[in-house]
Amino acid sequence: MTIAVQGVTPDTFEIKSATLPLVALVLKSADLGALARELEARFGDIPDFFDHDALVVDLSRVESEAQWGEHQAVDFPALLELLWKYRLAPVAVHGARNELAAVAKAAGLFPAPDARIGTAAAREANAEVVQKVVEPEAATGALVIDKPLRSGQQVYARGRDLVMLAMVNPGAEVIADGHIHVYAPLRGRAIAGARGNADARIFALGMEPELISIAGLYRTGETPQLAAIRGKPTQVRLVSDAEGNRLVFDPLK
Amino acid sequence: MTRTVVVTSGKGGVGKTTTSASFASGLALRGHKTAVIDFDVGLRNLDLIMGCERRVVYDLVNVINGEANLHQALIKDKHCENLSVLAASQTRDKEALTKEGVEKVLGGLSELGFEYIVCDSPAGIETGAMMAMHFADEALVVTNPEVSSVRDSDRILGMLASKTKRAIEGGEPVKEHLLITRYSTQRVHQGEMLSLDDIQDILRIKLLGVIPESEAVLQSSNQGVPAVHMKGADVSEAYKDTVDRFLGEEKPLRFVNGYKPGFFKRLFGGN
Repeated sequence: MTIAVQGVTPDTFEIKSATLPLVALVLKSADLGALARELEARFGDIPDFFDHDALVVDLSRVESEAQWGEHQAVDFPALLELLWKYRLAPVAVHGARNELAAVAKAAGLFPAPDARIGTAAAREANAEVVQKVVEPEAATGALVIDKPLRSGQQVYARGRDLVMLAMVNPGAEVIADGHIHVYAPLRGRAIAGARGNADARIFALGMEPELISIAGLYRTGETPQLAAIRGKPTQVRLVSDAEGNRLVFDPLK
Repeated sequence: MTRTVVVTSGKGGVGKTTTSASFASGLALRGHKTAVIDFDVGLRNLDLIMGCERRVVYDLVNVINGEANLHQALIKDKHCENLSVLAASQTRDKEALTKEGVEKVLGGLSELGFEYIVCDSPAGIETGAMMAMHFADEALVVTNPEVSSVRDSDRILGMLASKTKRAIEGGEPVKEHLLITRYSTQRVHQGEMLSLDDIQDILRIKLLGVIPESEAVLQSSNQGVPAVHMKGADVSEAYKDTVDRFLGEEKPLRFVNGYKPGFFKRLFGGN
């Protein structure tokens, strides 16, 4: 809903978190002569193999070797020149520690940090166009929501269980990395074990979802098993056995 | 103390403008100084329903842009002394509405002593609808007894609870009222329409009124007379009841159990 924030969003720019494809060059040795020879052997015949691709120089291997005492100085200006020749555009270094990072910075390559899931996701949540009920920082216990979730709304319980005390309407979506409990009718989409936890389960007092998914295995609301338990108190779990993976719907007694 | 009431639904064609006209007229008939604003910039209709289309000189966008003042733009309704209409601009689009501009208009109406401001929202969930609901104190969610309308109303209820000024500033939430329009007891009985219970089961907000499906609405629209003025019509009575309930009176629901099977049906049974 861009309109709700129109008053504060500048017209000329927008800051968003982005995950973009980059090429990484994992440097195994600081010996640029050897690197040049091997690059020539590999890409010499096809000089336009790269098309000015943005590149991150991954120095973690060089650094881990340095730990064993054979510290090698990397000649960054020469390295850059070599990479430019192959139509690569080095933009950053990765995995460099203090001294090496400082040298790289002097050559114009800034350190790219590891992607931290927490912060990236927080930024993503702000940029999200649908309403998200953002859970409190400390991910302890279950996320409890006591308001009805209406069409177009979404809740994600990151790294934990989700407890819904009010209904989940058609067009709404509840997602949890753990279990999902709905003490009301579940009529929207429910996705448990969103990051692959196959032990996650879904419980609802009125099971009539549009879609249900556990650890990526899903059933739509038109599945015959779902039709049979429609509107009844039910638990859903993922069973893996000789017959393969399947979702099992058990009435709650 | 001015109360701003948005008439909204998400879906088009459910009766928002008809309701805005009759509801605002009903408030005015009860002696409250009322203004009704058409937020459907680019597709203005309210002036037609109110029968004042030939008296529109300045509109909402003119006031927002400072090209006219409220006195010039407000049109006195010909049926109710207490009612004024602020038309939408037909030649502009929704982007002409700004939050600051709308706030200025609402503030101006408040200063002029209007007790109720009824905002007739356009369909959809884009700029126009967002602007119409942003400053609302109360909302009339207009819903038809069919699934897509209920789904869209549900979406709008979610937005009222998250995107309005009250929601953003964390104040008291927007007071939500459900108004079911185009309700046909016969078609509900035949299973062609959702029943009141079905709708309530999904939306779960307080039911303010039920407006029966009626030919009188079409007639009144074409004549430019809000349906509430159609003497003796069910629709008129139902809108008056709705206004009374909105103003805090207890009134039983009418026109919801009117289905009488025909003579032969009664004689021979059937569905």
